[in-house]
Amino acid sequence: MSSEHLRFTGDPALPASEFAVSATDLTKRFGTFTAVDAISFTVRKGEIFGFLGANGAGKTTAIRMFCGLLPPTSGTANVAGYNIRTQSRYIKQTIGYMSQKFSLYEDLTVAQNIEFYGGIYGLTREHIARKTEQLLEELQLQDRRNKLTASLPLGWKQRLALSVSLLHDPSIIFLDEPTGGVDPISRRNFWRIIYEIAGSGKTVFVTTHYMDEAEYCNRLSIMYRGRIIEIGHPGELKERYGLDSMQDIFIHLVGGDIRPENTP
Amino acid sequence: MQRILYLIQKEFRQIFRDRAMIAALFAVPFIQLVILGNAITTDVTNVDVMVSDLDRTPMSRHFAERFSTTEYFHLVLMEPDYNALRGHLDNGRAKLAIVIPPHFQRDVITGRTPVIQVLVDGIDGNSAGVALSYLARIAEEHQAQLLQTEPALGRSLREARIIRSEPRFWFNPELESEVYIIPGIVALILLIITVFLTSMGIVREKEIGTLEQLLVTPIRSTQLILGKIIPFSILGFVEITVAMGFIYLLFGIGVEGSLWLLFLESAIFILTTLGVGIFISTISETQQQALFVGWFFMIFAILLSGFFIPIANMPDVIQYLTYLNPLRYFMVILREIYLKGTPLHYLLPETIAMAAFGLMVFSAAVLRYRRIIK
Amino acid sequence: MRRRLFAIIRKEFIHIFRDWRTLMIIILMPILMIVLYGYAITLDMRNIVFGVIDDARTTESRALIEAFSENGFFRPLHREIRRDDMEELFMRRDVHMVLVIPKTLSTDLITRRTATVQLIVDAGDSNVGTFVNNYAAQVLNIHNRRVNDTSPLLFTITPRIFYNPDMNSTHFFVPGLVALILMLISALLTSIAITREKETGTMEQILVSPVHAREIVLGKVLPYVFLGLINASLILISAWILFAVPVRGSLLLLGVLSLVYVFVALSFGLLISTVARTQLIAMFGTLMATILPTIMLSGFIFPIASMPDILQYFAQILPATYFLLIIRAIMLKGVGLAELWPEALILTGMGVLLLFAATRRFRMRLE
Repeated sequence: MSSEHLRFTGDPALPASEFAVSATDLTKRFGTFTAVDAISFTVRKGEIFGFLGANGAGKTTAIRMFCGLLPPTSGTANVAGYNIRTQSRYIKQTIGYMSQKFSLYEDLTVAQNIEFYGGIYGLTREHIARKTEQLLEELQLQDRRNKLTASLPLGWKQRLALSVSLLHDPSIIFLDEPTGGVDPISRRNFWRIIYEIAGSGKTVFVTTHYMDEAEYCNRLSIMYRGRIIEIGHPGELKERYGLDSMQDIFIHLVGGDIRPENTP
Repeated sequence: MQRILYLIQKEFRQIFRDRAMIAALFAVPFIQLVILGNAITTDVTNVDVMVSDLDRTPMSRHFAERFSTTEYFHLVLMEPDYNALRGHLDNGRAKLAIVIPPHFQRDVITGRTPVIQVLVDGIDGNSAGVALSYLARIAEEHQAQLLQTEPALGRSLREARIIRSEPRFWFNPELESEVYIIPGIVALILLIITVFLTSMGIVREKEIGTLEQLLVTPIRSTQLILGKIIPFSILGFVEITVAMGFIYLLFGIGVEGSLWLLFLESAIFILTTLGVGIFISTISETQQQALFVGWFFMIFAILLSGFFIPIANMPDVIQYLTYLNPLRYFMVILREIYLKGTPLHYLLPETIAMAAFGLMVFSAAVLRYRRIIK
Repeated sequence: MRRRLFAIIRKEFIHIFRDWRTLMIIILMPILMIVLYGYAITLDMRNIVFGVIDDARTTESRALIEAFSENGFFRPLHREIRRDDMEELFMRRDVHMVLVIPKTLSTDLITRRTATVQLIVDAGDSNVGTFVNNYAAQVLNIHNRRVNDTSPLLFTITPRIFYNPDMNSTHFFVPGLVALILMLISALLTSIAITREKETGTMEQILVSPVHAREIVLGKVLPYVFLGLINASLILISAWILFAVPVRGSLLLLGVLSLVYVFVALSFGLLISTVARTQLIAMFGTLMATILPTIMLSGFIFPIASMPDILQYFAQILPATYFLLIIRAIMLKGVGLAELWPEALILTGMGVLLLFAATRRFRMRLE
């Protein structure tokens, strides 16, 4: 897939960083509540990087900062070599984002959703048309192209949302609990696609609270009450703690207290 | 620019997808026109009246009969018992009781000027006042007629010198209230459609999460706002054009002045309504709240616009308050252009005030919106 | 049965008090409405500016101008105007009326005993046109009576005004506002109550529990009856404090019938909610079905008797039409159930019918 059309003018000195994401003491406070507490880590290009944590642990807040949806209270981070405080416009052209809500327009048809988001990312008409055909074929949705998105089963909506967020060929894709509410088989299929995406050289940044999903990641950070309390390869972590599953490690680390004490 | 076009296309697709929405967009103005056009009138007709004829002479009967033949009054009963009248007023059977006194005929003939007493239910003071003035007019006509048929009665009147008036009603010779009310409805439609569509449209994207999805795209917040307000403005204009067509077809009322001026003024007014719509979306989390707030705003904007209550009638403090209401200016402008064909230079103060408000509200709302989505 | 009903009622109250924004609107809106509408809605015209073209310039013409200027209705434009300026004056909205006195005024009065002056009225607003014309006729009447020693009339008419002797329009509008506000708020509240649960999916949760349709519906209505009653008291107290609108009849009867009316409005809202799919449609439908008809067709401002027949029939099916009669009669006429039982009966019937229809429709959706 060529990315010619994605390069836009006004690009500042192209980043040469080897890291797709790097955070330094990144902090977000809402009033007195600290949602994300001075986290620092790096994500290498082409990695599948996971954020594991209970609801309210700060995963979503962190991901929203990387995507430029929330300004950090203190600390900083670079995404695709761009600073999230000052260069969020460039970041937005290079990332894809899909949240747990899928964010498709339910009252538009499948084809119209693809066309719309393609247009928003500045793809040309021909390019959109080509992409649409390609996507519909991949998703086997050809006969549903003119059906309302609302009529699709959840699993298909989710895959469509993922494909739509990849329309502009981003180099990093952020997935915020992408598999919430989806059945196990769809979930497994979804992860197969995530591997394909990573295989094509893109970086995948994913949050989850499913322990089995955590196992699929190349590298994993466990968040608890806004802090990263452990980071590493799943196998490496199992070895370090002498435990068999991420589930056990997680319970070991947070002591069974997987309920957040004060959800915002 | 291309991105804005995609946003606009999406917006129209969403609107036209929803059949209920289209029905609402075009049925609402139609219903409003029909109901408001016919209901808002202070022409008082068919007032329930009862007559108590205590004289029972040809002359008194003759006078009483007048009330059964006029469209102003509806004679519900002849009540011979004076003491029963109050009871009929109490239970609402009639609003007015006309009491022709005993010896009425005799007193008229002897020039003693008898007094006809009218008992009035004064709760609706305005209608009561109008009814009383009809009554006075009927009495006057009746006397004129009496004098003509029996000139002998006029002995004492011979010396009187009377000035009469002859009214000329300009701009609306038939005194039809639709002529005044209906152009105002155009303003209401524009207000309702643009404020609700804008505020709800934005809040809905917030609710379903697509706004967040849009915010992670490289789209600029200005493009995002334009992508919302351009389609709704277009819709607003389509809507008022359709409404003006309805008005012409249903009521035969056309635009006296310049159509271009009317559209220009509408464009200025839309700045305000879009601003209000955006503003509402910034303070609402859910569509329900947006609807509540929008409705709240409109109830007061419409009241204080002079749409159905003349501003000149209001207490001074409230009159000053109406100067803060952009709808007030647009209401005047619209009616002037519609009815009198007033040119722009007589409407300049209103236009300037409206433009100033529009720019202020609009830029404040946009700034607030941009601050919030950042 | 009792326990389940109470559980639903308690849950509904928690919903009400949690969403403070909506609660504020529910409490504040009526008070604001009564203040602004109460002060602003008045059809009493005053200070109508008029211009004069006096071609006669005699004692009689000056007396006539004075007669027009010295009452509260009219205010003279202190400026000479010419015939050619009239159109411009109207367009600039400087005057509402021009009094044209012919050259022959005084000679006509002597030779023909009557003279005619012309009143040119800006009738763009037909209501203003009617008012101005009526007032002018009154002014002339008074003037004619004053300048003549003997009565120019065969008989006269003297009104005796009951219930509202000053014909104060706040006394007319404020009770109407109570009816309007209660209708809007109550119908809105319940119309979203069920739709919201449908949208968020909690309705399904309730439906799988062993609750009867009747219980759900009652559980939805009762809390809002309470809220409606608070609203009604707030409005009545503000009306009494701010506008000194009396309650001449029985306060208890007013309370009971208000309750019946609130119940009708709530049931109506409920019926809408069983039909509407989304909160948005429910709210929009309620607003459209209540505001417009209640303001325009129930007799709130415009007398029903003056409307076209079709709208008159339509007015007969509006609950507000009956409640308006009731509340005005109790507050201003001081009458009781002896006079008002037909309206009270109709309202009660409407409430029962609506609630029945809502329960039925609701049960239909369950099955």
